[in-house]
Amino acid sequence: METYSYLNIFETKGLEYILLILFMIMFVFLYRYTKAGIKNDRD
Amino acid sequence: MNSSATTTTKSSQQGLFAFLLSQLKPRGKLLTPFNIISVPVMIAGVIILYIRFTQGLGATTNLSQTNPWGIWIGFDVVTGVAFAGGAYIVTFAVYVMKMEKFHPIVRATVLNGFLAYMFYAGALVFDLGRPWHVINPIIGNSFGYNSVLFLVAWHFMLYMLAELIEFSPVVMEWLGLKRARRIANGLTLAAVIFGVSLSSLHQSGLGALFLMAKPKIHPLWYSEFLPVFFVVSSIFSGISMVIIESSISHRVFKMQLGPGSHEKLDDIIIGLARGAAMAMFVYYFFKALIFIHDGQWALMHDGWGMWYLLEVLGFVLVPMVMYAYGARHRSVGIIKFAAGMTLIGILLNRLNVSIIAFNWNSADTYVPHWMEIVVTLTVVFAEIWLFRWIVCRMPVMREPGKIGSPNREREMRSLN
Repeated sequence: METYSYLNIFETKGLEYILLILFMIMFVFLYRYTKAGIKNDRD
Repeated sequence: MNSSATTTTKSSQQGLFAFLLSQLKPRGKLLTPFNIISVPVMIAGVIILYIRFTQGLGATTNLSQTNPWGIWIGFDVVTGVAFAGGAYIVTFAVYVMKMEKFHPIVRATVLNGFLAYMFYAGALVFDLGRPWHVINPIIGNSFGYNSVLFLVAWHFMLYMLAELIEFSPVVMEWLGLKRARRIANGLTLAAVIFGVSLSSLHQSGLGALFLMAKPKIHPLWYSEFLPVFFVVSSIFSGISMVIIESSISHRVFKMQLGPGSHEKLDDIIIGLARGAAMAMFVYYFFKALIFIHDGQWALMHDGWGMWYLLEVLGFVLVPMVMYAYGARHRSVGIIKFAAGMTLIGILLNRLNVSIIAFNWNSADTYVPHWMEIVVTLTVVFAEIWLFRWIVCRMPVMREPGKIGSPNREREMRSLN
Protein backbone atom coordinates (compact mmCIF):
# COMPACT_ATOMS: atom_id res chain seq x y z
CA MET A 1 0.00 0.00 0.00
CA GLU A 2 1.28 3.46 -0.90
CA THR A 3 2.12 5.57 2.11
CA TYR A 4 1.13 9.21 2.29
CA SER A 5 1.95 11.74 4.96
CA TYR A 6 0.23 15.06 5.44
CA LEU A 7 3.22 16.17 7.46
CA ASN A 8 5.54 16.08 4.46
CA ILE A 9 5.73 19.72 3.49
CA PHE A 10 7.21 18.87 0.09
CA GLU A 11 4.08 16.91 -0.87
CA THR A 12 1.55 19.32 0.63
CA LYS A 13 3.25 22.39 -0.85
CA GLY A 14 3.59 23.71 2.68
CA LEU A 15 7.08 24.94 1.94
CA GLU A 16 5.76 27.17 -0.82
CA TYR A 17 3.18 28.69 1.53
CA ILE A 18 5.85 29.28 4.17
CA LEU A 19 8.04 30.95 1.55
CA LEU A 20 5.16 33.17 0.46
CA ILE A 21 4.42 34.28 4.02
CA LEU A 22 8.12 34.92 4.64
CA PHE A 23 8.33 36.94 1.45
CA MET A 24 5.47 39.21 2.47
CA ILE A 25 6.86 39.79 5.94
CA MET A 26 10.39 40.37 4.68
CA PHE A 27 9.21 42.70 1.92
CA VAL A 28 7.67 45.00 4.53
CA PHE A 29 10.95 44.96 6.48
CA LEU A 30 12.95 45.69 3.32
CA TYR A 31 10.62 48.58 2.43
CA ARG A 32 10.98 50.11 5.89
CA TYR A 33 14.74 49.44 6.01
CA THR A 34 15.44 51.25 2.72
CA LYS A 35 12.92 54.04 3.42
CA ALA A 36 14.89 55.03 6.51
CA GLY A 37 17.77 56.05 4.23
CA ILE A 38 15.47 58.26 2.16
CA LYS A 39 14.07 59.89 5.34
CA ASN A 40 17.60 60.72 6.54
CA ASP A 41 18.07 62.40 3.20
CA ARG A 42 15.33 64.93 3.98
CA ASP A 43 16.49 65.71 7.49
CA MET B 1 3.00 83.47 -51.37
CA ASN B 2 4.57 86.90 -51.95
CA SER B 3 8.25 87.46 -52.74
CA SER B 4 9.26 88.64 -49.22
CA ALA B 5 7.75 85.49 -47.62
CA THR B 6 9.57 83.28 -50.14
CA THR B 7 12.86 85.04 -49.38
CA THR B 8 12.33 84.56 -45.60
CA THR B 9 11.58 80.82 -46.03
CA LYS B 10 14.65 80.38 -48.25
CA SER B 11 16.95 82.17 -45.81
CA SER B 12 15.51 80.15 -42.90
CA GLN B 13 16.14 76.91 -44.81
CA GLN B 14 19.69 78.03 -45.63
CA GLY B 15 20.21 78.91 -41.96
CA LEU B 16 19.01 75.46 -40.87
CA PHE B 17 21.25 73.76 -43.42
CA ALA B 18 24.27 75.82 -42.35
CA PHE B 19 23.49 75.03 -38.71
CA LEU B 20 23.25 71.27 -39.37
CA LEU B 21 26.48 71.39 -41.37
CA SER B 22 28.25 73.18 -38.52
CA GLN B 23 27.04 70.49 -36.09
CA LEU B 24 28.69 67.72 -38.14
CA LYS B 25 32.15 69.08 -37.39
CA PRO B 26 34.01 67.04 -34.77
CA ARG B 27 34.35 68.59 -31.32
CA GLY B 28 36.90 67.98 -28.60
CA LYS B 29 40.08 65.93 -28.71
CA LEU B 30 40.31 63.20 -31.34
CA LEU B 31 43.10 61.16 -29.74
CA THR B 32 41.35 59.93 -26.58
CA PRO B 33 41.86 56.39 -25.16
CA PHE B 34 38.28 55.48 -26.10
CA ASN B 35 38.73 56.68 -29.71
CA ILE B 36 42.08 54.89 -30.06
CA ILE B 37 40.50 51.58 -28.98
CA SER B 38 37.08 51.91 -30.62
CA VAL B 39 38.02 53.15 -34.11
CA PRO B 40 40.17 50.13 -35.17
CA VAL B 41 37.57 47.74 -33.69
CA MET B 42 34.76 49.47 -35.61
CA ILE B 43 36.73 49.41 -38.89
CA ALA B 44 37.37 45.67 -38.40
CA GLY B 45 33.69 45.19 -37.54
CA VAL B 46 32.51 46.87 -40.75
CA ILE B 47 34.86 44.68 -42.82
CA ILE B 48 33.57 41.53 -41.04
CA LEU B 49 29.97 42.61 -41.64
CA TYR B 50 30.76 43.05 -45.33
CA ILE B 51 32.10 39.45 -45.38
CA ARG B 52 29.05 38.25 -43.45
CA PHE B 53 26.58 39.82 -45.90
CA THR B 54 28.49 38.72 -49.01
CA GLN B 55 29.62 35.21 -47.98
CA GLY B 56 27.01 34.25 -45.39
CA LEU B 57 26.92 33.40 -41.68
CA GLY B 58 29.26 30.40 -42.03
CA ALA B 59 32.18 32.62 -43.05
CA THR B 60 32.13 34.75 -39.92
CA THR B 61 30.41 32.76 -37.16
CA ASN B 62 30.55 29.40 -35.39
CA LEU B 63 26.80 28.96 -35.73
CA SER B 64 25.43 25.59 -36.85
CA GLN B 65 22.11 23.78 -37.26
CA THR B 66 22.44 22.64 -33.62
CA ASN B 67 23.36 26.12 -32.36
CA PRO B 68 21.59 28.58 -34.65
CA TRP B 69 21.67 31.43 -32.10
CA GLY B 70 25.00 32.83 -30.91
CA ILE B 71 26.15 35.97 -29.11
CA TRP B 72 24.59 38.28 -31.71
CA ILE B 73 21.25 37.13 -30.30
CA GLY B 74 22.32 36.17 -26.76
CA PHE B 75 24.25 39.37 -26.02
CA ASP B 76 23.12 42.04 -28.51
CA VAL B 77 19.39 41.34 -28.56
CA VAL B 78 18.47 39.40 -25.40
CA THR B 79 20.92 41.10 -22.99
CA GLY B 80 20.97 44.51 -24.73
CA VAL B 81 17.20 44.88 -24.53
CA ALA B 82 17.24 43.99 -20.81
CA PHE B 83 19.91 46.68 -20.25
CA ALA B 84 17.73 49.18 -22.12
CA GLY B 85 14.85 48.62 -19.67
CA GLY B 86 15.81 51.74 -17.69
CA ALA B 87 14.01 54.02 -20.14
CA TYR B 88 10.55 52.63 -19.45
CA ILE B 89 11.16 52.53 -15.69
CA VAL B 90 12.41 56.12 -15.43
CA THR B 91 9.79 57.60 -17.80
CA PHE B 92 7.05 55.77 -15.89
CA ALA B 93 8.40 57.14 -12.59
CA VAL B 94 8.70 60.71 -13.91
CA TYR B 95 5.70 61.17 -16.20
CA VAL B 96 3.13 58.78 -14.69
CA MET B 97 4.07 58.59 -11.00
CA LYS B 98 5.22 62.26 -11.03
CA MET B 99 8.49 61.51 -9.22
CA GLU B 100 10.12 64.78 -10.25
CA LYS B 101 13.32 63.87 -8.41
CA PHE B 102 14.31 61.67 -11.36
CA HIS B 103 13.61 64.34 -14.01
CA PRO B 104 17.28 65.39 -14.53
CA ILE B 105 18.19 61.93 -15.87
CA VAL B 106 15.12 61.32 -18.01
CA ARG B 107 16.51 62.71 -21.29
CA ALA B 108 19.81 60.83 -21.14
CA THR B 109 17.98 57.64 -20.15
CA VAL B 110 15.48 57.88 -23.01
CA LEU B 111 18.30 58.60 -25.47
CA ASN B 112 20.27 55.64 -24.17
CA GLY B 113 17.20 53.39 -24.40
CA PHE B 114 16.38 54.54 -27.92
CA LEU B 115 19.94 54.00 -29.15
CA ALA B 116 20.17 50.63 -27.40
CA TYR B 117 17.05 49.43 -29.21
CA MET B 118 18.24 50.88 -32.50
CA PHE B 119 21.64 49.16 -32.33
CA TYR B 120 21.01 46.01 -30.30
CA ALA B 121 17.65 45.11 -31.82
CA GLY B 122 19.05 46.19 -35.19
CA ALA B 123 21.81 43.60 -34.71
CA LEU B 124 19.10 40.99 -35.17
CA VAL B 125 19.51 41.57 -38.91
CA PHE B 126 23.10 40.24 -38.78
CA ASP B 127 21.84 36.92 -37.51
CA LEU B 128 19.14 36.34 -40.10
CA GLY B 129 20.12 33.93 -42.85
CA ARG B 130 18.06 35.97 -45.29
CA PRO B 131 18.15 39.45 -43.72
CA TRP B 132 15.91 41.02 -46.37
CA HIS B 133 13.04 38.96 -44.86
CA VAL B 134 13.17 41.12 -41.72
CA ILE B 135 10.50 43.34 -43.25
CA ASN B 136 8.00 40.46 -43.67
CA PRO B 137 6.23 40.74 -40.29
CA ILE B 138 5.70 44.45 -40.98
CA ILE B 139 4.52 44.49 -44.59
CA GLY B 140 2.35 41.40 -44.28
CA ASN B 141 4.26 39.12 -46.62
CA SER B 142 3.78 36.17 -44.26
CA PHE B 143 3.01 37.91 -40.98
CA GLY B 144 3.86 34.83 -38.90
CA TYR B 145 1.42 35.95 -36.19
CA ASN B 146 1.61 32.52 -34.48
CA SER B 147 5.23 33.25 -33.58
CA VAL B 148 6.44 35.13 -30.50
CA LEU B 149 8.92 36.85 -32.82
CA PHE B 150 5.96 38.52 -34.56
CA LEU B 151 5.06 40.20 -31.25
CA VAL B 152 8.70 41.03 -30.54
CA ALA B 153 9.23 42.53 -34.03
CA TRP B 154 6.15 44.77 -33.84
CA HIS B 155 6.87 45.79 -30.26
CA PHE B 156 10.47 46.71 -31.01
CA MET B 157 9.37 48.84 -33.93
CA LEU B 158 6.53 50.58 -32.06
CA TYR B 159 8.62 51.08 -28.93
CA MET B 160 11.40 52.74 -30.90
CA LEU B 161 8.77 55.06 -32.35
CA ALA B 162 7.44 55.82 -28.84
CA GLU B 163 10.96 56.58 -27.59
CA LEU B 164 11.61 58.80 -30.60
CA ILE B 165 8.50 60.81 -29.70
CA GLU B 166 9.64 60.98 -26.05
CA PHE B 167 13.02 62.31 -27.18
CA SER B 168 11.73 64.60 -29.94
CA PRO B 169 11.30 67.72 -27.69
CA VAL B 170 15.11 67.69 -27.26
CA VAL B 171 15.64 67.65 -31.05
CA MET B 172 13.11 70.46 -31.52
CA GLU B 173 14.83 72.47 -28.79
CA TRP B 174 18.18 71.91 -30.50
CA LEU B 175 16.79 73.10 -33.83
CA GLY B 176 15.04 76.06 -32.17
CA LEU B 177 11.59 74.98 -33.38
CA LYS B 178 9.41 76.27 -30.54
CA ARG B 179 5.99 75.36 -31.96
CA ALA B 180 7.04 71.85 -32.94
CA ARG B 181 8.52 71.42 -29.46
CA ARG B 182 5.19 72.34 -27.85
CA ILE B 183 3.42 69.74 -30.02
CA ALA B 184 6.07 67.10 -29.23
CA ASN B 185 5.79 67.89 -25.50
CA GLY B 186 2.04 67.34 -25.70
CA LEU B 187 2.59 63.86 -27.09
CA THR B 188 5.07 62.79 -24.42
CA LEU B 189 2.67 61.38 -21.79
CA ALA B 190 0.77 59.30 -24.35
CA ALA B 191 4.06 58.01 -25.78
CA VAL B 192 5.27 57.09 -22.27
CA ILE B 193 2.11 55.12 -21.43
CA PHE B 194 2.23 53.38 -24.82
CA GLY B 195 5.96 52.70 -24.37
CA VAL B 196 5.61 51.23 -20.87
CA SER B 197 2.87 48.83 -22.05
CA LEU B 198 4.94 47.78 -25.05
CA SER B 199 8.10 47.42 -23.04
CA SER B 200 6.70 45.16 -20.35
CA LEU B 201 5.16 42.99 -23.06
CA HIS B 202 8.22 42.59 -25.26
CA GLN B 203 10.60 42.15 -22.32
CA SER B 204 8.47 39.15 -21.33
CA GLY B 205 8.15 38.24 -25.03
CA LEU B 206 11.90 37.72 -25.21
CA GLY B 207 11.59 35.19 -22.39
CA ALA B 208 8.63 33.58 -24.16
CA LEU B 209 10.88 32.97 -27.19
CA PHE B 210 12.61 30.25 -25.16
CA LEU B 211 9.43 28.50 -24.00
CA MET B 212 9.46 26.25 -27.05
CA ALA B 213 13.01 25.10 -26.29
CA LYS B 214 12.16 23.14 -23.14
CA PRO B 215 14.11 19.98 -24.10
CA LYS B 216 17.19 22.05 -24.99
CA ILE B 217 17.56 24.33 -21.94
CA HIS B 218 18.96 22.98 -18.68
CA PRO B 219 16.05 22.51 -16.21
CA LEU B 220 17.61 24.94 -13.74
CA TRP B 221 17.17 27.75 -16.27
CA TYR B 222 14.03 26.58 -18.03
CA SER B 223 10.69 27.46 -16.48
CA GLU B 224 7.22 28.13 -17.83
CA PHE B 225 7.60 31.43 -15.95
CA LEU B 226 10.58 32.57 -18.07
CA PRO B 227 8.54 35.56 -19.40
CA VAL B 228 7.89 36.69 -15.79
CA PHE B 229 11.58 36.29 -14.92
CA PHE B 230 12.57 38.34 -17.96
CA VAL B 231 10.22 41.23 -17.28
CA VAL B 232 10.98 41.45 -13.53
CA SER B 233 14.73 41.21 -14.11
CA SER B 234 14.52 43.91 -16.80
CA ILE B 235 13.40 46.34 -14.05
CA PHE B 236 16.54 46.08 -11.92
CA SER B 237 18.72 45.52 -14.97
CA GLY B 238 17.47 48.80 -16.46
CA ILE B 239 17.88 50.63 -13.14
CA SER B 240 21.45 49.34 -12.77
CA MET B 241 22.27 50.46 -16.30
CA VAL B 242 20.85 53.93 -15.55
CA ILE B 243 23.05 54.16 -12.42
CA ILE B 244 26.20 53.20 -14.34
CA GLU B 245 25.38 55.27 -17.42
CA SER B 246 24.45 58.43 -15.49
CA SER B 247 27.57 58.12 -13.30
CA ILE B 248 29.82 57.89 -16.38
CA SER B 249 27.92 60.65 -18.24
CA HIS B 250 28.21 63.01 -15.25
CA ARG B 251 31.95 62.47 -15.25
CA VAL B 252 32.47 62.74 -19.04
CA PHE B 253 30.07 65.65 -19.67
CA LYS B 254 30.67 67.57 -16.41
CA MET B 255 31.33 70.77 -18.40
CA GLN B 256 27.65 70.81 -19.42
CA LEU B 257 26.27 70.46 -15.90
CA GLY B 258 25.20 73.19 -13.54
CA PRO B 259 26.20 73.67 -9.89
CA GLY B 260 24.73 71.16 -7.44
CA SER B 261 24.16 68.52 -10.11
CA HIS B 262 26.54 66.10 -8.37
CA GLU B 263 24.52 66.16 -5.12
CA LYS B 264 21.30 65.80 -7.10
CA LEU B 265 22.72 62.76 -8.88
CA ASP B 266 23.64 61.13 -5.56
CA ASP B 267 20.02 61.51 -4.37
CA ILE B 268 18.76 60.07 -7.65
CA ILE B 269 21.13 57.09 -7.39
CA ILE B 270 19.98 56.37 -3.82
CA GLY B 271 16.33 56.48 -4.93
CA LEU B 272 17.09 54.14 -7.84
CA ALA B 273 18.97 51.75 -5.55
CA ARG B 274 15.91 51.42 -3.36
CA GLY B 275 13.78 50.49 -6.37
CA ALA B 276 16.38 48.02 -7.60
CA ALA B 277 16.62 46.32 -4.17
CA MET B 278 12.87 45.74 -4.06
CA ALA B 279 12.65 44.51 -7.65
CA MET B 280 15.54 42.11 -6.98
CA PHE B 281 13.85 40.86 -3.85
CA VAL B 282 10.69 40.03 -5.85
CA TYR B 283 12.81 38.32 -8.53
CA TYR B 284 14.74 36.34 -5.94
CA PHE B 285 11.48 35.21 -4.35
CA PHE B 286 10.15 34.05 -7.74
CA LYS B 287 13.35 32.12 -8.33
CA ALA B 288 13.14 30.43 -4.92
CA LEU B 289 9.46 29.59 -5.40
CA ILE B 290 10.03 27.98 -8.79
CA PHE B 291 13.08 26.15 -7.46
CA ILE B 292 11.00 24.58 -4.68
CA HIS B 293 7.89 24.06 -6.83
CA ASP B 294 9.85 22.17 -9.49
CA GLY B 295 11.78 20.17 -6.87
CA GLN B 296 15.18 21.11 -8.26
CA TRP B 297 17.20 20.04 -5.19
CA ALA B 298 18.53 17.00 -7.05
CA LEU B 299 20.07 19.20 -9.75
CA MET B 300 22.37 20.94 -7.29
CA HIS B 301 25.02 18.23 -7.07
CA ASP B 302 27.04 18.92 -10.22
CA GLY B 303 28.82 21.79 -11.93
CA TRP B 304 25.58 23.16 -13.37
CA GLY B 305 24.17 23.43 -9.85
CA MET B 306 27.20 25.42 -8.69
CA TRP B 307 26.98 27.64 -11.78
CA TYR B 308 23.29 28.30 -11.02
CA LEU B 309 24.07 29.16 -7.39
CA LEU B 310 26.81 31.55 -8.51
CA GLU B 311 24.28 33.38 -10.69
CA VAL B 312 21.42 33.46 -8.18
CA LEU B 313 23.34 33.98 -4.95
CA GLY B 314 26.45 35.78 -6.19
CA PHE B 315 24.84 38.13 -8.70
CA VAL B 316 21.28 38.54 -7.40
CA LEU B 317 21.22 38.07 -3.62
CA VAL B 318 24.57 39.79 -2.89
CA PRO B 319 23.91 42.92 -5.03
CA MET B 320 20.36 43.08 -3.61
CA VAL B 321 21.74 43.26 -0.06
CA MET B 322 24.33 45.81 -1.21
CA TYR B 323 21.64 47.96 -2.83
CA ALA B 324 19.51 47.91 0.33
CA TYR B 325 22.53 48.68 2.55
CA GLY B 326 23.72 51.42 0.19
CA ALA B 327 20.26 53.04 0.05
CA ARG B 328 19.88 53.04 3.85
CA HIS B 329 23.39 54.30 4.60
CA ARG B 330 23.55 56.63 1.58
CA SER B 331 26.68 54.97 0.27
CA VAL B 332 26.83 55.76 -3.44
CA GLY B 333 30.08 53.79 -3.87
CA ILE B 334 28.43 50.56 -2.67
CA ILE B 335 25.40 51.22 -4.89
CA LYS B 336 27.57 51.68 -7.99
CA PHE B 337 29.44 48.48 -7.21
CA ALA B 338 26.12 46.66 -6.76
CA ALA B 339 24.95 48.07 -10.13
CA GLY B 340 28.04 46.64 -11.84
CA MET B 341 27.50 43.25 -10.21
CA THR B 342 23.82 43.28 -11.21
CA LEU B 343 24.71 43.94 -14.84
CA ILE B 344 27.17 41.02 -14.78
CA GLY B 345 24.40 38.87 -13.24
CA ILE B 346 21.93 39.83 -15.97
CA LEU B 347 24.53 39.13 -18.64
CA LEU B 348 25.18 35.74 -17.05
CA ASN B 349 21.47 34.93 -16.80
CA ARG B 350 20.65 35.88 -20.39
CA LEU B 351 23.72 34.06 -21.75
CA ASN B 352 22.85 31.00 -19.64
CA VAL B 353 19.33 30.84 -21.04
CA SER B 354 20.27 31.56 -24.65
CA ILE B 355 23.76 30.06 -25.06
CA ILE B 356 25.55 28.42 -22.10
CA ALA B 357 22.76 26.20 -20.71
CA PHE B 358 21.15 25.96 -24.17
CA ASN B 359 21.97 22.58 -25.73
CA TRP B 360 23.76 21.76 -22.47
CA ASN B 361 23.58 18.02 -23.15
CA SER B 362 24.63 18.23 -26.79
CA ALA B 363 28.07 17.13 -28.04
CA ASP B 364 28.14 20.13 -30.40
CA THR B 365 29.06 23.05 -28.11
CA TYR B 366 29.05 26.62 -29.32
CA VAL B 367 31.98 28.94 -28.69
CA PRO B 368 31.72 32.34 -30.37
CA HIS B 369 34.08 33.05 -33.26
CA TRP B 370 36.43 36.02 -32.72
CA MET B 371 34.67 37.80 -35.59
CA GLU B 372 31.34 37.54 -33.74
CA ILE B 373 32.96 39.21 -30.72
CA VAL B 374 34.43 42.01 -32.87
CA VAL B 375 31.00 42.69 -34.44
CA THR B 376 29.39 42.76 -30.99
CA LEU B 377 32.01 45.28 -29.79
CA THR B 378 31.41 47.31 -32.95
CA VAL B 379 27.71 47.56 -32.11
CA VAL B 380 28.47 48.67 -28.53
CA PHE B 381 31.08 51.25 -29.64
CA ALA B 382 28.85 52.60 -32.42
CA GLU B 383 26.08 53.20 -29.89
CA ILE B 384 28.47 55.03 -27.54
CA TRP B 385 29.79 57.18 -30.43
CA LEU B 386 26.31 58.24 -31.45
CA PHE B 387 25.30 58.86 -27.80
CA ARG B 388 28.35 61.09 -27.34
CA TRP B 389 27.70 62.93 -30.60
CA ILE B 390 24.13 63.73 -29.58
CA VAL B 391 24.95 64.70 -25.97
CA CYS B 392 27.71 67.06 -27.18
CA ARG B 393 25.22 68.90 -29.40
CA MET B 394 21.68 68.61 -28.06
CA PRO B 395 20.38 69.75 -24.64
CA VAL B 396 20.42 66.25 -23.12
CA MET B 397 22.48 66.84 -19.99
CA ARG B 398 22.39 70.62 -19.79
CA GLU B 399 19.43 72.80 -18.95
CA PRO B 400 18.18 74.20 -22.27
CA GLY B 401 19.38 77.70 -23.08
CA LYS B 402 20.85 78.30 -19.61
CA ILE B 403 23.89 76.15 -18.99
CA GLY B 404 26.61 74.80 -21.23
CA SER B 405 27.18 75.60 -24.86
CA PRO B 406 24.95 78.20 -26.57
CA ASN B 407 21.61 77.24 -28.00
CA ARG B 408 20.74 77.23 -31.64
CA GLU B 409 19.52 80.83 -31.87
CA ARG B 410 22.89 82.10 -30.66
CA GLU B 411 24.77 79.72 -32.95
CA MET B 412 22.57 80.84 -35.86
CA ARG B 413 23.36 84.47 -35.07
CA SER B 414 27.10 83.74 -35.03
CA LEU B 415 26.80 82.03 -38.42
CA ASN B 416 25.10 84.99 -40.05
